[in-house]
Amino acid sequence: MLAPILVIGILAALFGLLLGYSAIRFRVEGDPIVDQIDGLLPQTQCGQCGFPGCRPYAEAVAKGEAEIDLCTPGGEATMLALADLLGREPGSGEGQAERVKRVAVIDEQACIGCTVCLKTCPVDAIVGTTRQLHAVIASECTGCELCVAPCPVDCIRMVPVASDLSGWKWPYPAATAQAAQPPVA
Amino acid sequence: MTEQRIKVEVAYAKQREQALLEIEAERGITVAQAIERSGILGRFPEIDLAVNKVGIHGKAARLDQPLASGDRVEIYRPLIADPKAARKRRAGEARKESRAASA
Repeated sequence: MLAPILVIGILAALFGLLLGYSAIRFRVEGDPIVDQIDGLLPQTQCGQCGFPGCRPYAEAVAKGEAEIDLCTPGGEATMLALADLLGREPGSGEGQAERVKRVAVIDEQACIGCTVCLKTCPVDAIVGTTRQLHAVIASECTGCELCVAPCPVDCIRMVPVASDLSGWKWPYPAATAQAAQPPVA
Repeated sequence: MTEQRIKVEVAYAKQREQALLEIEAERGITVAQAIERSGILGRFPEIDLAVNKVGIHGKAARLDQPLASGDRVEIYRPLIADPKAARKRRAGEARKESRAASA
């Protein structure tokens, strides 16, 4: 009578210890899915998704509160990678499609070489130094607009990028159908 | 062990046209050598290293300064606007605004 109780009791104590040990040994700090999502984002911290940086956006996506197609610098590649990771539908990409890609352009006639915009640029797309003209490398600019407000002489404008072979996308059917309608005379 | 080859970038930017060239070079290459090696001078004949200032990552540098791996050599252009005039104009506008506000 005593033996079975002892055996079961010892077994229970052993498994309890094992579980307790693994809970400490294999403890996971934070939510691993957030880290994985964060790792796929471009880390430009531009805020174009409507969240104050890449990490908050990753957290919102992990909770299912945000669409996965909001990252403009990451573009379609990031959206597809997120869809792959989360097993969610890639979505229409309308989050980006509505926004035409724009880049910052610095007015050379007005720039005073103050380097304020240089420091705000998360991707180092601006070339310049103290009391020298600043200019934006268009291919590096993600269009985040973080440099526009800080400029003391308001010389930075956002300019839509003309579509070329590398950026051209097949237009959405609805848009073409509307455009194809004969103009009303 | 340190790597013998380093990667550096050479950048020159104008309002309409910019170049960001990556080159691989041996350790100890200087700013001037990197600019020469990148071929950027052939693409933008207006660059005159005696006139245009150069720098690394937004900080002015000398032409004979050696580069570290990952440095971005930048060729700058002189200002067109006069910072003093711009400041005076802004001060004038601010004064006008404050006067309009008090009136």
